Amino acid sequence: MREVRRSAILLRQNVPLAITSRVFHTIVIGLFLLILGLSVPALAAESSSPDTDSPAKPSRIDQDDLELLREANRLLEEEIKLASRPQIYVVLDLGEKLLFIKGRGVELHRFPIKTWRVSGAQSVSGLFRLRARPTVTRPKAVPGHDPSLEPIGLEDMPAEYLLVYDPGLFLVVAPAIREQPWLWAWSRLREWWTRLGAWTRLAASNEPTAAGPVLRLTLSPEAARSLAWSVTDGMPLLIGKITLP
Amino acid sequence: MRGRTKRGLAKVPVTVLLAVGGFLLVVCPGGSPLEAGEEPAAQERQVPPNRKQADGPESLRARYAALKRQLEQQAPDSPYIVVDTARNLLIVKRRQEVLLMAIASTGSGTILDHPDRPGTQWVFDTPRGEFKIQSRLTNPVWVKPDWAFLEEGLKVPKDQASRLEPGILGEYALGFGKGYFIHGTLYTRLLGKNVTHGCIRLSDEDLRTVHRLSKVGTPVMIF
Repeated sequence: MREVRRSAILLRQNVPLAITSRVFHTIVIGLFLLILGLSVPALAAESSSPDTDSPAKPSRIDQDDLELLREANRLLEEEIKLASRPQIYVVLDLGEKLLFIKGRGVELHRFPIKTWRVSGAQSVSGLFRLRARPTVTRPKAVPGHDPSLEPIGLEDMPAEYLLVYDPGLFLVVAPAIREQPWLWAWSRLREWWTRLGAWTRLAASNEPTAAGPVLRLTLSPEAARSLAWSVTDGMPLLIGKITLP
Repeated sequence: MRGRTKRGLAKVPVTVLLAVGGFLLVVCPGGSPLEAGEEPAAQERQVPPNRKQADGPESLRARYAALKRQLEQQAPDSPYIVVDTARNLLIVKRRQEVLLMAIASTGSGTILDHPDRPGTQWVFDTPRGEFKIQSRLTNPVWVKPDWAFLEEGLKVPKDQASRLEPGILGEYALGFGKGYFIHGTLYTRLLGKNVTHGCIRLSDEDLRTVHRLSKVGTPVMIF
């Protein structure tokens, strides 16, 4: 009788465990299918895209396109304001597919962009400010220990990350699917999650800036790490088609 | 019975929804609900009727060229210093011309906790932004701060004389604010690495050139 009771208790204890295990496995399989679902069509799209892995090409902006001329002028006016102050800022030229770090209007460094894509809006243009730079684990100096042995370097910076800008812009930086497929898949999940969060905020607050667009940049891992290193809290970012041919 | 229902519920929607969601995200990258309510760029581009004639392609192009020139004028006239902390490079430029490209050492990014004061710590980063050369010292003497003693596992001395260390900073030290300097180093093998406490180290020869090309007020752009 005691044995039967003990078995019944063990069975009761194991049933929730079994359910939890099943749910866990189901989620893992679901995530695997999600990543597979994300990867296959995008890999095909990226393979057929002429822009992928190619150096930045000059954009074919129609000179007579008044809208583009107005946008370029408006962005230049913004940049002159930025350049008149003692600060470092970032310019993202979507037409030229280049990302510049600048100060006083002078180009300090440039990164080529492999591909870019906006979701949640038809276009992104204007001035934004970074809320916080990507976090990095800093080693602690041990008293009496040579501090030059464990400095942080570019290799410690992330190659995939999300930068949140005000007002309402999410910048997802990720490597190309061919270079780092798992990191790429992770960035897609992050993008999806960001958009989901944005929609939720929009539904809750009804504020248009609560759910800004998501701009996805594909950079080489080195360029992505370098950008993560260079950006600082509150750093201005100017986005748009700035350069005319 | 309950167990079966839960398993069934968990299995079908989670797997299917995640997979379908993934496909939809890729297949319809721009198809988010946000598009429906947002047209920020289009609204900003609307031009009042009285400006339409003045804003013809020719005048807009002329405006563009004028703005470009105005932007170029923001650049410093005299030589300026650019420090790339990611690649540990110091570059002296005049307009677009590179006058010197030197291998430097910049901040290590490490943290040192004060052993006796919990919550007090130093972060050894080279500051980012635009600064100006504020002082130009010849044969500088390093006044060792508290962290330099604590980092070596020593006690902080009470007398000022124990803090003085001549000959460590090289021939010159160019101060750019808040106790940060561009100076020389005894540890030339570490040039090109992030090993400093925030200052910018150079070899003796490069330091001489930077000293010669700079003056008080020379801009220092660090990124």
